[in-house]
Amino acid sequence: MPNMREIRERIASIQQILKITNAMYLMSSSKLKKARKSLEATEPYFYKLQETIDSVLEHTPHTRQKYFDRRKDIPPEKRKKGYIVITGDKGLCGSYNHNIMKYTEQELEKAENPENCCLFVMGQVGRLYFQRRMKNDHMASVDSEFLYTTQNPTLYRAREIADMVIGKFESGELDEVYLIYTDMVNSSQQETRTLRLLPFERKRLVQAADGTLKSLPKASFMPSPEEVMGYLIPQYAKGIIYGAMVEAFCCEQQSRMTAMDSATNSAKDMIKELSLMYNRARQAAITQEITEVVSGANSLDED
Amino acid sequence: MAKTFHLEIIATDRIFFQGDVEHLVITAIDGLIGILAGHEPLVTSLPTGELKYMVDGVWKYAAISEGFIQVTPDSAVILADSCELPEEIDIKRAQEARERAQEMLRQKQSLKEYYQTQAALNRAMNRLKVSQKHFK
Repeated sequence: MPNMREIRERIASIQQILKITNAMYLMSSSKLKKARKSLEATEPYFYKLQETIDSVLEHTPHTRQKYFDRRKDIPPEKRKKGYIVITGDKGLCGSYNHNIMKYTEQELEKAENPENCCLFVMGQVGRLYFQRRMKNDHMASVDSEFLYTTQNPTLYRAREIADMVIGKFESGELDEVYLIYTDMVNSSQQETRTLRLLPFERKRLVQAADGTLKSLPKASFMPSPEEVMGYLIPQYAKGIIYGAMVEAFCCEQQSRMTAMDSATNSAKDMIKELSLMYNRARQAAITQEITEVVSGANSLDED
Repeated sequence: MAKTFHLEIIATDRIFFQGDVEHLVITAIDGLIGILAGHEPLVTSLPTGELKYMVDGVWKYAAISEGFIQVTPDSAVILADSCELPEEIDIKRAQEARERAQEMLRQKQSLKEYYQTQAALNRAMNRLKVSQKHFK
């Protein structure tokens, strides 16, 4: 039977932790409310943007635009790949950060030559983790000038990131750019995803039944397809990055809330168990004392 | 009653407008474009500027910053960074933004910073212009 004082100290320390987790739960739930609101406001834009770009591309005549250039002359092992990874700024949010980091590592393993991969990590937790890891086993490099927080995403930040990435793509520092973020499927389900930003994919070329390419009616572009695409694609990149930031921030708050809620609950359970144990120990001590007194009195009587 | 087409204006922070309009005038890179129902398919980008659309014979104005438009014969979709009615514009904020940008332009800046500040100045000036023109 453990010592009474020990149990009392443990209960006190658990109560301290309980206060902290409970406060964090309340804070993240109010932050989540705000993040949800901005997610709801941004979601129509995010989805409509993807949808519209798809339909615009179907109607685009073939152009030799720089953003469509797949740079086929560069062999796969020499291609320089950039990954924008959105993680959280703080820990204590369940498996949220862990999932992204694991997923990113899997993506890096898939790449032909990890040494040509460059990571642009948003958020403190991910950045520190990858910087330490990459130093040890020389997998990919982490851009140390890429310092952005993931809290309260703004369009301004998304614009800066998009400008930076597009600049690097144009100058040939990067040949492919991917975006890794956590998508909110519904309030209880999250999914880590990769989106390819550059070069722009002309996906879903509509194929007719006989396998030939169906020619879709071409839309007109003012002033020219090249020029419009030159505006459109940075715009698209910015919108997508912003949308992903909002989604990821909302996911982070959601998983922190769940994690802190379950921490609070298990702290409560532990206190319950420990106080039962404490009471038993106290009872046992009292019983023992009574027995001692009674037996002492009895031995006096006998004399 | 004039023929109408469906117009959607979606900004990053909200759905600005959804409904049938008779006439839409946008500022594209190389000038104003008027769009009526049955317009040929068109894609163009919109710089920071002003747009107006007609609902039931009444012109409505809005300040828009950076976006693009896709037009099909029976609908049009505008996706933009932000879109505001003249009466929604926070004049004080826009003035502050303008002053900040002007101040920044006086400093020595890299080329990239220069473009960013110029774009910020453009947005502020556009907001002020639209709100002064249509909301007194």
